[in-house]
Amino acid sequence: MAAATAIELSDGMTASSDAKADERALVIAAQRGSSEAFASLVRLHQRRAYAVCRAIVLTHEDAEDAVQEGFLHAFKALDRFLPDQPFGAWLFRIMANASLDLVRRRKVRDADELPETIPMPFRDPGESDELRRRLNMALTKLTDRQRSVIVLHDVEGFTHGEIGEMLGIPEGTARSDLHHARAALRRMLKDVRSDL
Amino acid sequence: MSDIRLFPNDDDEVVRGLRSLYAAPAGDSYWNELESRIMARVADVELGWWTELDRWARPAMAAAAVLLFAAGAAMFRAHQAEGDMAVENMLSSPAVPVSTAIRPALQDDRDARIRYLFGCSTQEPSCSAQSSKR
Repeated sequence: MAAATAIELSDGMTASSDAKADERALVIAAQRGSSEAFASLVRLHQRRAYAVCRAIVLTHEDAEDAVQEGFLHAFKALDRFLPDQPFGAWLFRIMANASLDLVRRRKVRDADELPETIPMPFRDPGESDELRRRLNMALTKLTDRQRSVIVLHDVEGFTHGEIGEMLGIPEGTARSDLHHARAALRRMLKDVRSDL
Repeated sequence: MSDIRLFPNDDDEVVRGLRSLYAAPAGDSYWNELESRIMARVADVELGWWTELDRWARPAMAAAAVLLFAAGAAMFRAHQAEGDMAVENMLSSPAVPVSTAIRPALQDDRDARIRYLFGCSTQEPSCSAQSSKR
């Protein structure tokens, strides 16, 4: 049993190191100008990149825009990337920056154009149950950063350190944002949960 | 990944609610299309003249730096050779008598001024005698 686990572990590690080597090869090829290699990197990372952007921006459409912007920035900055570093962490930092830029631009635009309008952040036509509706409302009460931190941590499974790096905040701040966001959600959803 | 969750049970309805709100679109067709859109934008960037400019900027800067360095070195060497040659010429040229070193034109001017001050011209023999006596 122990031997089998060891083999599994070693297989897993081999698979992981193989994947890293493949990714490194793709990065180097993309840096040399291969658009096929860059397309493979897009294919590998676009779902996770979308998740990072989606946690920061308010709508699915904005997340799509941010993902495209992020990959474009990554493509332009590819020659400055050192292939020995983890590509995912570098890419997700770019994605987070693209998303934060988009949020800032949206805020400026909304302040200029619709000063009296309260944005409806989550458009979900399929939403029907009370909890989801209340959850939506509760999420709008959190700060942008608290919302991003709770989604990145509790939905996407990023660590405090990774979140801090992506959002450009210290790890301790990410931890305390998460704590406050959870406390606020618990408070706001207490009655809904007891009704269920 | 931290094991501290919003509620003790991972399957808690709030976490599930959050996950469904933030769920990424399912279906490969969506991701294929997104990939195509991203690559189309990348291709636009690749084809732009600024990319070509950007690509050549670094080699051009390096070439310019090398040229500047080479030109500087050449100028320095030329200047040094010129100096060496001047010193060599000075040392190798034969000794010149002191009298020839005075510019004749200057000497003529000075004589004319002296003659003018003493009120005689060069044609008068007395004047020339006077000046020779002096």
